[in-house]
Amino acid sequence: MTMNRRDFLKVSTGASGSLILAVSIPGCASVQTGYQPETGEWKPDIWLELTRDDEIIFTLARVEMGQGTYTGLTTLVAEELDVEPGKIKVKFAPVAPEYRNPLFGLQLTGGSTSLASSWEPLRVAGAQARQMLIMAAARVWEVDADQCTTQDGRVVHPNGVDSLRYGQLVELADREVIRGKVPLKPRSEWKYIGRKGGKLDARAKATGTAVYGMDVELPGMVYAVMTRSPRYGGKASRFNRDEVLGMPGVTDAFITERGVALVAQRYWQARKAQQKLQVEWDFSEALDTDTEAVFEGYRKAASENSGVKERSEGNVDKAADRAKQVVEAEYEQPYLAHATMEPMNATAWYRDGGMDVWAPTQAPDLGRIAAARHTDLSPGKINIHTTFLGGGFGRRLTQDYIEEAAAVAYQLKVPVKLIWSREEDTRHGFLRPAMLHRMKGSLNDGELTGWHHQIVGPQVLDWYVRNAAPAQYPWAPKFLYDTLGRVGLMAEGIATPKDISAIEGAIEYPYQVPNVSVRHTHTDPGVPITWWRSVGYSHNGFAVETFMDELAHESGEDPLQFRLKMLDGEPRHREVLERAARLADWGQPAPEGRARGLALFKSFGTYVAQVVEAGIENGEIRVYKVICSVDCGQVVNPRIVEDQIEGGILFGLTAALYGEINFDNGEIRQSNFHDYRLMQMHQTPEVVVDIVDSEADPTGVGEPGVPPVIPALGNALFALTGKRQRRLPLTA
Amino acid sequence: MAFSLTINGQRHTVDVDSDTPLLWVIRDEVGLKGTKFGCGAGLCGACTVHVNGQPARSCSTPVASVDGASVTTIEGLSEDGQLHPLQQAWIDQGVPQCGYCQSGQIMTAAHLLNNNPSPSRQDIVTAMTGNLCRCGTYSRIVAAVEAVAGSVGHYQPAGEDA
Repeated sequence: MTMNRRDFLKVSTGASGSLILAVSIPGCASVQTGYQPETGEWKPDIWLELTRDDEIIFTLARVEMGQGTYTGLTTLVAEELDVEPGKIKVKFAPVAPEYRNPLFGLQLTGGSTSLASSWEPLRVAGAQARQMLIMAAARVWEVDADQCTTQDGRVVHPNGVDSLRYGQLVELADREVIRGKVPLKPRSEWKYIGRKGGKLDARAKATGTAVYGMDVELPGMVYAVMTRSPRYGGKASRFNRDEVLGMPGVTDAFITERGVALVAQRYWQARKAQQKLQVEWDFSEALDTDTEAVFEGYRKAASENSGVKERSEGNVDKAADRAKQVVEAEYEQPYLAHATMEPMNATAWYRDGGMDVWAPTQAPDLGRIAAARHTDLSPGKINIHTTFLGGGFGRRLTQDYIEEAAAVAYQLKVPVKLIWSREEDTRHGFLRPAMLHRMKGSLNDGELTGWHHQIVGPQVLDWYVRNAAPAQYPWAPKFLYDTLGRVGLMAEGIATPKDISAIEGAIEYPYQVPNVSVRHTHTDPGVPITWWRSVGYSHNGFAVETFMDELAHESGEDPLQFRLKMLDGEPRHREVLERAARLADWGQPAPEGRARGLALFKSFGTYVAQVVEAGIENGEIRVYKVICSVDCGQVVNPRIVEDQIEGGILFGLTAALYGEINFDNGEIRQSNFHDYRLMQMHQTPEVVVDIVDSEADPTGVGEPGVPPVIPALGNALFALTGKRQRRLPLTA
Repeated sequence: MAFSLTINGQRHTVDVDSDTPLLWVIRDEVGLKGTKFGCGAGLCGACTVHVNGQPARSCSTPVASVDGASVTTIEGLSEDGQLHPLQQAWIDQGVPQCGYCQSGQIMTAAHLLNNNPSPSRQDIVTAMTGNLCRCGTYSRIVAAVEAVAGSVGHYQPAGEDA
C-alpha cells in the first residue's frame, strides 16, 4: 500500500468541499494537553504523558499486530526524551483526528508506513518535551538551559552533580514555551536507535497476559455467533427461531444485515445452537462464481480490452516487430486468505445512548463508522478501544466483524462478544484478489528492447472506500456515507491520486528497457477483496520477476547478469542484488539435487533481493535456504527488521507453496488449516537477512519481504526441473 | 453438569455442558485468557495446555474427558510470579511478533524439555512443528528452546502436578 492510494480522500475535500464547510468540525483538538494539577499529569503533546511519580506514558497510534510498532515507535520518543524505551508505558490510542496516519488521512495502520510516517513527528515530540524539562530545571537552578543535560529521566545540572527527576519538573515544564525548532539528537548521540533493543511487548506475550480482542472480559457479557450466507451477498430471509431459542443458554436469535445472530450465555452454547440452525437464504444477489469462471472472465476481458495505459515509454509494438525473438507468457494467481492466528472478533456494549467497542482493528476510525452504520448511533457516540492484534496482514483494515458486533449489541442490554470460528474466518473473509498477467518481451541478441505487461483484475479501493470516505468526515450525516464513498471513487484520478493497488510494483519496473508498456484491464468478478500483506506487489512481483527469469533464459544469459546490465541508474537495486548474490555464492553450483533462483523487488520504498535454494524431496517442494539483502534506509531496531523480513519470507513461501482460495458456485471450498495450509517449522528454510547500512530516511519492512520470494522460488524450481510454472501455488 | 478440575494447582468446579471444550472452560469459566482459540480443530496448537503433564489441544478436548484432571496453563507454568526459563528465553530472544500463538508454543516447548532436557535441533523441530505461527517466528523459537536446553545445568523442570 503506498501513500497516494489512500491519500486520495484527504485531497478529495475539494470535490465535496461545500458539504464539509457547511458544518462545524467537532472532534478537532479532541486530545487535551497541558498540566492537570488534580492528577499531577503533564501532557506536553498528544503523544506523551509524564507524571509527578516519574511515569512516562506513550500513546501509540499505530496498532501492534506483530510488526513491532509497540517497540519501534516507543524507541523514537525514548531516544529524544533520553529515557530507556523499557521505562515507557505504552497505551493504545483512542479514535481522534490527531492520531490519523498523515499519509492516508485516516487512523489506520498499514502500507508499511508506521515507522516512516512517525520518524520525524515522534522524535520531535520527545525532543520538545525534553527541552521543556531542561528549561524548567534551568529556571530552578538559575543556570543557562544550554548548559544542562539529561540522563535516564533526569535533568543534570551544569556542575554534573545535581539533578532533578522529570517527575519533579512536570508542573514547571508546562509553563515553558519553546521558540523555534528544537534540534534533534545527532546520529552520533543515539543510544537506542539502531540497536537490537528488546521487544517491549515480549514479556506480556510470553506470559499470556497481553490482551487481544479475543480476551476482552466485561461484566455480564454474553456471546454471539453469526451465521452468514454461504455465498457472498446472500440474505437470510427466515430461520427456525423457536427451535434455536429453545436450546440451552440461548437468549436471543435474530436476523441482521450480515446473517443470523445467535446469542447465548456461553460461547459453546451459541455454537451448539448454530448446528441446529436452519436458514432460508435469498441468493438473488449472491455470488455464483467458480474459480475457473473468474479466470475465464479475466482472459476474455484481457483479449477484449487492452486496458488503461499506466506507463508507456517508446513503442512496444514496434519493438516487437523489429525483435528477433518475442517471448510471451501468461501468469495466474489465486485468491488468498489472511489466516491471522486470532480469528475475527469484536466485543460491543450499548449503554446510556452510546456504544463501546473493543476490537483488534487496524483502523479504529473506520471501525467507528462501521458500528455507526449498523446502529442508529452517530460516530461521536461510539468509542473504539483497540487491543493487541493476533495478526493483521491487511485483513483487519476491513471492519465487517465490528459491524456485526455493533449490530448485535445494539439489540441487547449487556455486553456481547462476537467470535468467528476458524472456518468462518476462512470462508467469509475479504481476500487478496486473484489476478491474471499477460507479458510480452522483445529480445534482440540478448538485449531486452521491449517490455509489455498487462494486468487483469479488480482494484481494492472499490471495496474499501465505503467506510473509508465517511471516516474522514465523521461529522457528516449518515445518509451521506454512501455519497461520500461514491465521490471518493468518482474523484479518483481527477481531484485525487488514483488507486494503484492493482498496478503497484508493475509501473515501477526498474530495468532500463527502451520500450515499456504497462496496462491495467479493470474487471471485478464481485468477490470481496481487501489489502493483503504487500497487496499489488504480491502478484506483480511474481509476474515481473518470473518473466525476467524467462527472458534471461531465452537469451541464454545468467539471470543475475541479465538484470545487472539493465540497472545502471539504480544503485540501491544493484547493491542489494549484488550482495544477495555474493552471500548465496551465486554462480557456484548448488548442492546436489538443489537449484537456486533469484528475484529483486522494491516495494514500500524498500529494496529487497533474495536468492532461494530449493529442491524436491518425496514429491514435495523443499526450500532449504533464503538469502535476503534489504535496504530500508535507517534502521531503528535491527532485530525487528530481521523479524519482519524473515516473517514476510515465510508468508510469501506459504502463498507460493500452498496458498489458494477457490470458489464453487460462490462458496469458498477451503475451511481450516488442513486445507488452507500454513508453513510449519519442519518446512521452514534457513533464512539469512542482510541489512544494508544506510542513513537514508527509514522505509517500511512489514511487507517488502513477501513479494520477491515467490518468483525466486519459482525461478529456482525452473533451474532445477527446466519446467516453468506460471500459475500459483507452485507444484512439485 | 458439574466438573471438577485442578487448574494451575487450584481446584475449580464448573457447571457446563459435558461436550464443552476445555479451552472455553479455562478461558471463560476460570477466566484465564492466556490460552488461545485458533482453529477449534486441534490443527494449530494455540490452545495447547498440559493435562496430567501431557500436552493437549484444549480446543478439542471435551471437559467431560478430563474431569478430575490436573491442568497447567501458561499462567501456571511457573510459580510465584517467576518466569519459567522458556519465558525468559522468549523475552531474551525477542520471539513474539503478534504473539497470539506463543502461549501454545511455550507449553509445547515446556513439555519437550520436561521429558528431554537436552534435545537436539531435530528433536525440537519434531516436537514443535504442530504449532503454527503465521508471523513466521519459527527460527527464533528454535533459538529460544536451544538457549534453555543449552543451560540444562540451571534448568529445573517446572512442577507439573504439584
